[in-house]
Amino acid sequence: MSALTRIAREEWRLWARSRVVLIAGVTVAVLVALTSLLTAQRVTDEIERRAARQASAEATFLAQPDRHPHRMVHYGHYAFRTPPPLAAFDPGVDAVTGQSIFLEGHRQNTAMFADTRAGADLGGFAALTPANIYQLLLPLLLIVIGHALVLRERESGTLAVLLAQGHSGLALAGGKALALAGVAGVFLVPVAALAGYAAAAGEPPLTAAVMVAGHALYLAVWGALVLAVSLWARQRSVALAVLVLAWLMVALIVPRIGINAGSAAIDAPGKIESDLVMLAQQRALGDGHNAADPAFEALRKQVLDQYEAENVEQLPVNWRGVVASHSEAKLTALMNDFSESRMRLEARQSRIVTLFGLASPTLALGAASRTLAGTDLATHHRFLRESEALRFDFVQALNDLHANGLAYADDIARSSDPEAEQRTRINASAWGLLDTFRFEPDPAATRVDRAALPLAMLLGWLALLGGAIVLGARRLSP
Amino acid sequence: MNGVVREARFMLRDRGALMWIALALLLSAAATAFGIAEVREQRATIATLLEEDAQDRADALAGQSDWGGAAYAAFHLTYAPPSDLAFAALGQRDTAPWLHRVRMLALEGQIHEADTKNADFGLIGRFDFAFLAASVAPLLLILLLHDLRAGERATGRHDLLVATAGRGEGLWLARALVRFAALALALLVPFWAGAAIEGAPFASVLAASALVLGALAVWWLIVEAAARRQASPSVLLAALVGAWLALALLLPAGAKAAIEASHAVPDGAEILLLQREAVNDAWDLPKDATMEPFLARHPEWREFAAVDRPFEWKWYYAFQQVGDQHAEPVAEAYREGRLARDRAAGIAAILSPAALVERGFERLARTDTGAMIAYEDAVRDFHARLRAFYYPLLFRDPPYDPLAFERLPRYEPAR
Repeated sequence: MSALTRIAREEWRLWARSRVVLIAGVTVAVLVALTSLLTAQRVTDEIERRAARQASAEATFLAQPDRHPHRMVHYGHYAFRTPPPLAAFDPGVDAVTGQSIFLEGHRQNTAMFADTRAGADLGGFAALTPANIYQLLLPLLLIVIGHALVLRERESGTLAVLLAQGHSGLALAGGKALALAGVAGVFLVPVAALAGYAAAAGEPPLTAAVMVAGHALYLAVWGALVLAVSLWARQRSVALAVLVLAWLMVALIVPRIGINAGSAAIDAPGKIESDLVMLAQQRALGDGHNAADPAFEALRKQVLDQYEAENVEQLPVNWRGVVASHSEAKLTALMNDFSESRMRLEARQSRIVTLFGLASPTLALGAASRTLAGTDLATHHRFLRESEALRFDFVQALNDLHANGLAYADDIARSSDPEAEQRTRINASAWGLLDTFRFEPDPAATRVDRAALPLAMLLGWLALLGGAIVLGARRLSP
Repeated sequence: MNGVVREARFMLRDRGALMWIALALLLSAAATAFGIAEVREQRATIATLLEEDAQDRADALAGQSDWGGAAYAAFHLTYAPPSDLAFAALGQRDTAPWLHRVRMLALEGQIHEADTKNADFGLIGRFDFAFLAASVAPLLLILLLHDLRAGERATGRHDLLVATAGRGEGLWLARALVRFAALALALLVPFWAGAAIEGAPFASVLAASALVLGALAVWWLIVEAAARRQASPSVLLAALVGAWLALALLLPAGAKAAIEASHAVPDGAEILLLQREAVNDAWDLPKDATMEPFLARHPEWREFAAVDRPFEWKWYYAFQQVGDQHAEPVAEAYREGRLARDRAAGIAAILSPAALVERGFERLARTDTGAMIAYEDAVRDFHARLRAFYYPLLFRDPPYDPLAFERLPRYEPAR
């Protein structure tokens, strides 16, 4: 048995006899296990529920009776953001953003009914999820267990004996690191189990594996910090106080300061604010309900020329449908401009927050974890984009029916003539134009790519602290 | 008194203690400054929007030729401005909307629009004064006070000190009191400065300060109870951090999960679904199917309620209201469910000083769940006034006269 493992075994033996270590360890273990089970259960139910709702929304749309196609434009449709399998470990922004969007003509609605809006308010901390326990509690556990790793030997005088026996400071530090790594390894079991569970539910093995590796890296960073402080400090109580302060700053304060900074640096307008600006521009585009709006004069000339017709009554297509289609396309381009710029600003805010990961490994790991799980802000933005594409497609398909399936004469008479109104109802079999929608997370490689920056920050931290450990171990003296 | 002065001099030479207190001062100043910047930005947003909203409504109304079209085109801004104390506790303002633009259509389709900010903000949370006072300050207090006795014990001076001081209790009390007061001042002075800048009402500031001091006193008692044990400083600190974790994090999070599991809230999407089905079905139903439930609420319009043509505005707005009526039971259950959860959370918070402080601040700053629901109620009231304004015009159908819009109801936020 090498010196390294002997030192580590001695440490484990001591820990096993320490009440503080046992109580702390068992408490955290129970918490991780319980939260993992509950969250996995909840998210699995949620995945099924939302998939069922998506399917039922589609069935309802198809089951609509014969109608004027524009009625179906306003009848609308729903898109649900189904959580990816790894959300069982890190639900991310799922609780904060709405889960479904109502899709209809001429409007981009927001995702509504976020869980947090109906949540019980008990103060600042987020809900208990496995990801949160890893980010917040496990570092604290490593601190409580490991702050005295080297100091214990120093305070009891055994450090002098060990060094005199010819153990180098480096070997000693290596043994202590191994001891702490053993504990961290045990506590990696839950995240590995959840990653395996997600992989069984269809998660690509790559993201599941990087998720576990990222958390191993995170625990390694904290373990290294604990060991470094234990090497450099002179008193146990000072070491513990310094580590608790570090935890307070890194886990609680810096991430929130990052949020404050992101919010203060970039003013991303809310949707209502940017909608108001947009409405003014939209009015210049004309009202798609009113084909007589002067804004459509140029379009009228162009369409009349194209069909060599004298007036809109002679057109082989329904002028109202043409206008509806034209104005929807223009309006959508305008709405997309605004929503893209809003999302860009939000992404820039979040990038600033992520940069605070340089000062807080907790923030860096959180960003990496949400990205890998497919529950980050960028994935929510993609959901917004994809549901918008779905909206535009079915609305334009309906406008196409409006232009080509209905007679203009009936269409303009339908508000006053009940028989014309009957003739403008399109057979319900046409509603099959709706595409099926299943929201999928980004491909594994994309997610890993996006998580690379925060993971690199963690590696940087590990290298820095590794240097501090080597330096401290070399100059170790009783 | 002498003891206090002496201990104050001691503390000024204790670099560790000074560092914790300086940190508290710095964090409090940062939290206050960020909070003030944020509420100012929110007020500026509201001011700009009010102008743009009036301009936009004037533009929209200018092109109209009938009452129904005008009601369809004119949007109205509703908002909940941040209170004078909101800088200290932004609370629900990061997750619940405080801005809407509503018009005469079915309200249930509009009031749940969520104008929320960046989702990461709601997820991670802001560093505001309430969070500092509720969660971080107790940990700083623990770090300051945990080793008063044990530190002296570890250096072997404990018994000597107690013996020479005569009454041992007075010594520890003075020492702890000085540190407690220094920490409390470091936290509260920037907050008071912020409150003065924002012009927060004196009574609220007093109540908020009492809340901070009261909660810190509870934590002091906890530290005191633990410190009487014969244990090394590091074991004490580990135990106290464990107690902090249990009271400030695990208990609130556990209570939150339990409350949400036991108090069901109807799925919000259900409200929208009901309203949408009711509104859209109306197009295909006989006109009476809409007008009867409408007239049951508004019997005063019965003699004007005949609908002769396939499309008439009064019928259109009647089925918008009937859509709301359909969703009413679920919408009411959604509102009640949230209030019930909030009440349960208020009771559970008694067990956690941290949750109590944070909820107390949100309440004083009117950024709590109750205030956000009160804002929704105000939007509902305003929408009802909008309907009361338009229904006579739609049903009696007097000749179109844009001058009537000078009497349009105006939204006034609660003060």
